[in-house]
Amino acid sequence: MNIQKLLEKTKAFLDTAERKRKEKRKYLKHVIKKLKKHEKKLIARLESEADKATRDKLEKEINLAHAHRKKGLKVLKGLKKANKSSQGGSGV
Amino acid sequence: MAPFLTSHADIPSMIKKIILPTIFAILTYGFWISPDFKEIAAGVAIFLFGMLALEEGFKAFTGGVLERLLRRTTDKLWKSLSFGIVSTTLMQSSSLVSVITISFLSAGLIPLAAGVGIIFGANLGTTIGAWLVAGFGLKVKISAYAMPMLVFGVILIFQKSKGLKGCGYILSGLGFLFLGIHHMKEGFESFKETIDLTAYAVEGYPGVFLFALIGLAATVVMQSSHATLVLIITALAARQITYENALALAIGANIGTTITAIIGSLGSNVEGRRLAGAHLIFNLATAIVAIAMIYQLTHAVDVVSAWFGIGSEDYTLKLAVFHTIFNLLGVLLMLPFINMMVRFLQRTIKPRTRTGSQPRHLHSATFELPDTAIEAVRKETLHLYDNASAIIAGGLSLDLAEILSGRPIDEIITNSRKPKDFDIDENYDRSVKELFGEIVQFISRAQATMSPEQSEELFMLRAAGRDIVEAIKDTKHLQKNLSQYLGSDNEEIRKEYDQIRSSLASVLRELDAVRQRGDDSTAVLSLDSLKVAMRKYDQGLDYRLNTLIREDLISAPMSISLMNDNGYAYDVTQNLIQMGEALFSTGERRLREAERSISLDKGELDEILQNSENSKP
Repeated sequence: MNIQKLLEKTKAFLDTAERKRKEKRKYLKHVIKKLKKHEKKLIARLESEADKATRDKLEKEINLAHAHRKKGLKVLKGLKKANKSSQGGSGV
Repeated sequence: MAPFLTSHADIPSMIKKIILPTIFAILTYGFWISPDFKEIAAGVAIFLFGMLALEEGFKAFTGGVLERLLRRTTDKLWKSLSFGIVSTTLMQSSSLVSVITISFLSAGLIPLAAGVGIIFGANLGTTIGAWLVAGFGLKVKISAYAMPMLVFGVILIFQKSKGLKGCGYILSGLGFLFLGIHHMKEGFESFKETIDLTAYAVEGYPGVFLFALIGLAATVVMQSSHATLVLIITALAARQITYENALALAIGANIGTTITAIIGSLGSNVEGRRLAGAHLIFNLATAIVAIAMIYQLTHAVDVVSAWFGIGSEDYTLKLAVFHTIFNLLGVLLMLPFINMMVRFLQRTIKPRTRTGSQPRHLHSATFELPDTAIEAVRKETLHLYDNASAIIAGGLSLDLAEILSGRPIDEIITNSRKPKDFDIDENYDRSVKELFGEIVQFISRAQATMSPEQSEELFMLRAAGRDIVEAIKDTKHLQKNLSQYLGSDNEEIRKEYDQIRSSLASVLRELDAVRQRGDDSTAVLSLDSLKVAMRKYDQGLDYRLNTLIREDLISAPMSISLMNDNGYAYDVTQNLIQMGEALFSTGERRLREAERSISLDKGELDEILQNSENSKP
């Protein structure tokens, strides 16, 4: 590893904002994973449900879980982008 | 009431008032007649100061690791026992472990059985301290290590970083402990040349009782059994006390440590008092067995010492062996009865009679641990919500228990048409106002030792409390017209007000469902469904209201009331959702933050609403 790379790595470690972003990504991934599981479970329940009112309720819940997951992925993408741009900035 | 009757909160202060001048007088006399005594006492003082610094240092690291660990020790007894042993061994302070355990108990984070397990473990953990002092502290020139530790420690204390500061306190704490032991050792060594304390040794059972009492008193005064034990070991090493009397002193110290715990728990809540009770039962039972079997135990110590290759004249190490055997014996004896003991304590130590407005989880012991204090505030705010939701239900002329039952909401509404004579103001004064005041006061006191992130968390909880109060106020505004129109001859207006009641009852039910899902990290996000329902209801209202006015089904004043009251119902819902988002979210702080970051905003909620409208056939 050359000095430049080592310096970059040290800078990345010392950069609190970057560390916080990394941590946030970790927890966000966890929530997204849970939402995916939740959504799948709801879809499975919907498939076996005959009652119309319950089906309506389940559909609403699925839409909501999906919207949350979509937002989660968007936030995650934003964090990754911010990370990349800060890394790119350090190389200049 | 007789004037000489004092409340039990006054007893410790009264004891302190008598004890302190007595101790000062004895010490001053001692310093005057013997410089060696002065050195021993200074050694004890430095040692105790070291303990304080050590505790301060460990507190810097309790924000997270220790609390997470402790949270995981609740399911199995062996886990709580091991936690007690390991944490006390590492921190060399059973009192800090007790404080943490009491604060966890009072915040309702661990059950009493787990707390008792930790205390049992802590008793075993203290025995390691005796081994360290007897095996290491006396065999090497300990003060040589103390000086660099103090220097590095103090430099670290001056650093800004919390972690480095904590390390500094731990290092200087250890340095002071070593220095204290050194001075005690030196003091006893030179004391030996002037006075032979062994001349005052008492043999047989009278000696056992007398020295156990001295050990007890010394521990109560120093508030640390560890300090007493070190004093005993150093005195024993200098042959200033006999081996038999040292054993009795160690037994006394074990009882003494519980007395400090009892005094400390007098002001605490019922769980803290029960834990102190368990501590007393354990240590007293162990001490009684140890005193009754002292000769058999001494023999057992000889056998075990020989087995470990400890010389028959190495009394300090033999004392450590004794201390371990007798605490181990206590744990083995009491462990099978732990559940029985918990039941006994729950039966005998009852909570002080309290009203709904008295806090159940706020306890000053939790100030020491910021994350625990936050959890205590969260639980207390949930208590506030419980009281408030009953008021909101009452204001709607409904019964909370019925709302939370599985019965269809429409059925409940239809069956409770008669307006209830429910005084919101009186109920608010009785079960919310005072409690919210206590929470706010606790938050401002707890905030002093918190990091910005932790303060932010408390700020959110306080805001949740304010949302609860606002929801009650809005319900009060709503109640006036609601009571009037529930009995109205106009069916349309009755229907509209039933609709308001039904929608608010659904909110209370849904909030309860989310709360019950507790550990599921996505549960709190499902509160967004309430937001969608709230927006849908609001949009539908405009259309309905127009129809009702156009077709002359309700009068103009009725329409104004309906519009205003729907506004209040909207605010109640919004406040309760906000409260739920802050309060029902459990687990790690960062996980909760991640959840909050993907909660849907207005635009996204409207999009969902639009999609669901479009998908309708």
